[in-house]
Amino acid sequence: MNDRLLDFSIKYGFLILLFGLIIFFSLTTNGFASARSAAFVLQSVALTGILALGVTCTLVVDGFDLSIGAVATSALMLSAYSMVILEHSALVAVLLCLSMGALVGLINGLLIVRFRVPDLLATLGMMFLLIGLQRIPTQGNSIATGMSLGNGVVAEGTFSKAFLWIGRHRFDLVIERLLPMPVVIFLLIAVFIWLFLGFTRHGRMMYAIGSNERAAGLVGVQVNNYKIAAYMISGVTASIGGILLAARLGRGDIASGNNLLLDSVAAALIGFAVLGAARPNAFGTAIGALFVGILLQGMTMMNAPYYTQDFVKGAVLVSALVFTFYLSSRRTGAGR
Amino acid sequence: MLRRNFMALAGAATILFGSGQALSQDMPAPFDKAADVNIALVRYLSTGDFFQAYLAGVENQAAALGVNLRVLDSRQDAALQADMVDQAIALGVDGIVIQHGLTESMKEAAQRAVDAGIKVVAFDVNVENEAIPQIEQSDYQLGKMALDQAVKDNGNNFTAGYVYVPGIAPLDRRHVAWEETKAANPDITEVAQFGTLDNPIANSVANQARSVLQANPTINVVFAPYDEFAKGVKIAVDEAGLTDDIDIYSADVSTADISAMREPGSAWVATVATNPAVVGEASVRALALMLAGEDPGASVVVPPTLITQAFLNEQDIKNMDDLGAKMPQFQHADVAMADWMPLPPR
Repeated sequence: MNDRLLDFSIKYGFLILLFGLIIFFSLTTNGFASARSAAFVLQSVALTGILALGVTCTLVVDGFDLSIGAVATSALMLSAYSMVILEHSALVAVLLCLSMGALVGLINGLLIVRFRVPDLLATLGMMFLLIGLQRIPTQGNSIATGMSLGNGVVAEGTFSKAFLWIGRHRFDLVIERLLPMPVVIFLLIAVFIWLFLGFTRHGRMMYAIGSNERAAGLVGVQVNNYKIAAYMISGVTASIGGILLAARLGRGDIASGNNLLLDSVAAALIGFAVLGAARPNAFGTAIGALFVGILLQGMTMMNAPYYTQDFVKGAVLVSALVFTFYLSSRRTGAGR
Repeated sequence: MLRRNFMALAGAATILFGSGQALSQDMPAPFDKAADVNIALVRYLSTGDFFQAYLAGVENQAAALGVNLRVLDSRQDAALQADMVDQAIALGVDGIVIQHGLTESMKEAAQRAVDAGIKVVAFDVNVENEAIPQIEQSDYQLGKMALDQAVKDNGNNFTAGYVYVPGIAPLDRRHVAWEETKAANPDITEVAQFGTLDNPIANSVANQARSVLQANPTINVVFAPYDEFAKGVKIAVDEAGLTDDIDIYSADVSTADISAMREPGSAWVATVATNPAVVGEASVRALALMLAGEDPGASVVVPPTLITQAFLNEQDIKNMDDLGAKMPQFQHADVAMADWMPLPPR
């Protein structure tokens, strides 16, 4: 009986908590329970969610990507630079950002598998490199239309309508102009990564590498290629996050992206606890991001100051980790 | 553009000096041999448009004087910043500009510099030293002027949202103006206070503001006394489709802010700002006055300027250069001046 209760709580505890939170905020705050609230909670989650899905792929192969926040803000700066200063079209800007993300992922992967640099260190180095690099072209200034480029020349380019559409368009769903484009992209990426990791041969290979790299290598899995692929997925998803950020802000804002990194890693780690998976998984990551988003938006509506939000975020993460590591180990212990 | 700059330079130079830029012979010692004068800028904060523009102002004024400038950047490391003052002392500089920092960590370091016979000025950090003039952009005035405009536009009876993060010195000083305005106008109700410095700040604030606007549909004024906050609130207002119902009042300005304020139907109606480059110039001029044996006064306050959306639209201002051209008080502050003081070209 006790074991079954434990099993049940490990499996569904987090989802029940999520449900409870929604009911709590619906009762205590004004206007939380509405389609519009759902849309902006999802919107606030979309960005960290997309980054978190990328980092999930690197966690699956037992790696880690600390550079995602910096990749996202680099993509933000690159898209602004491309459109405002070089006056490229939206398509060129998007392609540039995606290839930048893939290239960074490739370099990360090569550093890790070819040069044997530990993943945390390689991606940490990449993070600093990118934070610096993105500021070099503009000498540390943000990019906006009308900025002076020296010699009396003024940047004439603008963020094109098509580019802003990616971040700002909202689809009609029940209510007019309800569902923001970034949420749609987030859901698409979530479904894609979920299918890829859970239901394809490649995804299973990646899990195999994550649980025992040597064993996977011995049975003929191309460990290095899969690892590089994981970092490239992470780089590309992070650059998608940066594109959405640029389209929402409408300017190239300098930012380190460290908060994006921390929030998305938290979401991915909370995801371990969802459905008692005790391992990185796309569904859990999406739920983890949603959990943090609902909590933060609900607390903001209740006028809670920002430091209590950090506190709560930390508390959720710690309890999720306890769920994952302690309770799951007891479960396997009990089964023995 | 170039031509206008040249005209402005020529004009300013003619009025102020009679002819051309002041020659080094016209300047008092030690600036008669300006190439031998070394000054150091010791920074605590450096990332962002404001600090970049401040640095540009310091560099330009130093170049106009013909002195050597050394920039020491501690990148938000309070202990390192104090060490850097010692480093500047060891380098034998003649003057130091301390830019931001913490009173606790800088007080003693600043005193050591003064003891070593070095002239020191401090911008936006109180080092509690009578020998060190304070350069200020008057954050209190920034907040006050924005709120006066809000009351002028909306009357003294409105429902406000307020963006604030306590513990950040300039925001704390702007907060004083908000408290005063609320006390003086009891019909102003603050229904929500929010704010975060998670970067990208505008994005994080936009997420918060969406929740706040949803929970408090009566808000018609948002006081966001930092441009990143205002940008975030504007994104949320646009997304919620409330551009006509809400007015945003802020502080600080940048080229990006100008275009955000000028978007058709923008809710961001006014901001109050000092030009960070002008503050940088004033910092170096105050130091130069001290080096020449003159007294800039215990505090040098660079007065802020009110910038409204209507003014930007009327004058078709697109960037900071336009703003400076159309608003001379934004381009140059007549503080810490002397007859002999050369000004940077504009």
